[in-house]
Amino acid sequence: MASLTLKAITKRFGKVMALSCVDLHVEDGEFCVLLGPSGCGKSTLLNIIAGLILQDEGTVLLDGKSVDRLFPRDRDVAMVFQSYALYPHMTVAQNLEFGLRMRGVPKPTIQELVLESAHLLGIEDLLDRKPRELSGGQRQRVAMGRVMVRRPRLFLLDEPLSNLDARLRASVRLELKQLHRKIQSTILYVTHDQVEAMTLGDKVVVMRNGKVHQIDQPETIYARPADTFVAGFIGSPEMNLYQGRLFQKDGRSHFQGAGFSLDLGGLKPNVGQGEVEVGIRPEDIEICHSATALRGKVEMISNIGSEKYLHVGLGNVSLTVRAPKEANFQPGQIILLTIDPDRLHIFHEGRRI
Amino acid sequence: MSYSILLIYMFPAIVLVIPLYVMFSRVGIRDSINLLILVYLAQTLPVALYMLRSYFQTLPPEMEQAGLIDGCSRLGVIWRIVIPLSAPALASVALYTFMIAWNEFLFAFMFLDTPEKFTLSRGVVQLAGSVHLSKQLVMAASVMVTIPILVLFLFFERRLVQGLTAGAMKG
Repeated sequence: MASLTLKAITKRFGKVMALSCVDLHVEDGEFCVLLGPSGCGKSTLLNIIAGLILQDEGTVLLDGKSVDRLFPRDRDVAMVFQSYALYPHMTVAQNLEFGLRMRGVPKPTIQELVLESAHLLGIEDLLDRKPRELSGGQRQRVAMGRVMVRRPRLFLLDEPLSNLDARLRASVRLELKQLHRKIQSTILYVTHDQVEAMTLGDKVVVMRNGKVHQIDQPETIYARPADTFVAGFIGSPEMNLYQGRLFQKDGRSHFQGAGFSLDLGGLKPNVGQGEVEVGIRPEDIEICHSATALRGKVEMISNIGSEKYLHVGLGNVSLTVRAPKEANFQPGQIILLTIDPDRLHIFHEGRRI
Repeated sequence: MSYSILLIYMFPAIVLVIPLYVMFSRVGIRDSINLLILVYLAQTLPVALYMLRSYFQTLPPEMEQAGLIDGCSRLGVIWRIVIPLSAPALASVALYTFMIAWNEFLFAFMFLDTPEKFTLSRGVVQLAGSVHLSKQLVMAASVMVTIPILVLFLFFERRLVQGLTAGAMKG
C-alpha cells in the first residue's frame, strides 16, 4: 500500500480545461472519494494516476516518488472500470490470474492468491464461467477480484457501482466498506453519487469543471460546505439557497431576501453588509406555532415514506422543509416556520463566511 | 479519410490493368505468380483494413486499458486481448480476401502467359477455349474450382455468426 500525492495536475483537451491545478494527498490506507457531476474531470484524473493519459503539468507521486515517467504496468496500481472491462474470452479464473501471469508470478502462488480473493468475494463457484454467463453483480465482484489479487499499491475505482440496480448497489456498497476495512488498502473512488461518497469515504473531494471545491471528511462537507456549489450539490433534497442583502440594525444582523427577511441575532458581526447568499438545510427548519415565525403556504408535499418534504411558498421564493412522516399537512395550508440562525450557511461571492 | 479507401474501389479493374501491364512488361517481371500475389495483396489489403478498422473501433477501449494496467505492453494488449476478441472479424476478412483472390480472373488473364503458372480461374478459361475437350469436362472443372470456397465457408460460418465480446461490459 502507498500514499498518493497529486501536485498541481493540469490537463487540457484542446481548448477545454479538463483539470486545473488539482492538489490532493491520500494517506496510506485511506478511502478517498472523488465526487462531482458528470464531466467534472474526475475520471480523467483517475486515468492520469493510472498512467493511461499524460497530464500537461503537475506530478503524480506514490509514496513520495514521482511515477510520471512510468508506464501503467510499472506503476503498480489497479483499476476497476465502470463497465468492468472483463476479458470476455477468458474464464473468471483466467481473468483473475491475468495480471499475476503478466507479472511472472509463479503458478502455485497465482493459484493461492486467486482462491483467496475468490473466497473473500464469494465467487469461488464462478471460477470456470465466462463473463457473459454472469449477472451484473457477479461481474462487478469479478472486476473487484481482478484488481485485488494483485495486491497493488493503490486501487482506482471508477464508478464501480453505477451499473448495478439500486438494491444491489446498497449491499455491494456495504461489502466494499467492509472489504476496505479488511484489506486496509489505499483507495481512490470516483462517483457522482453523494450517498456513496458520504458512506464510503474517509475523505471526500468535491470537484466541478476540473477544479477541486472542497476536500474534507464527509461530516464536514455536509456540515460546513466551503462554497455554494458544494452546499447545493451535497444533501438530498437540496439545501435551500437564497440571494439577498445583509444589513445591521440596532446592533443585530438582518438578512433581507426576496419576499422574506430573517433576524440573524448577534451572529456574524464581521460580515458587515452587502450581497450574500444564505443556505438552510430542509431538516434545520422547524415547523412551530410561534407568533414571530415566518408564514409560508404549503404548495406541494413529497412523501418518501420515512419522512415528508413540504415545498413551501415564502414570499417570492420556495422553501423545502422536512416534516416527520406522521405530520398531516394539506396543500394550501398556512404553516409557521422558524430558522435557527446558528444553522444558517452564509456565503459571500460564493465562498463560505 | 477511411472513405477514400472505398472510393478507390470504384475504379474498374480494367482501368488499372492496362498501365500495370505496360509497366510490368517493360520491367520484364510480368509472367510470374509472385507478381500476381503482390497485385492481389495490394488489391485486397485496403478493404481488409477498412473492415477490420471498423471492427476494432467497436471493441471497448477500457478492455485495452485494463490490459495495460494489468501489466501488458502495447503489443501484448493486441496479442492477448484484441486479436483473440477479433477472431470473427479476422475470419470473415480472411474469407473475403481469399474469395477475391481465388475468383480473380482479369489480372491473371493479362499477366500470365505460361500455362504452367495459370491460376484455376484462368485455367478453366484455357480449357473452355480448347476445341478438343468436351463441354462437360469444362463444366466439371468449374464446379471443382468452386468447391474450396464452399468448404471454407461452411468451416468459417459458425465463427462468423457469433460475436465474442458479449459479457465484457455491463448489461
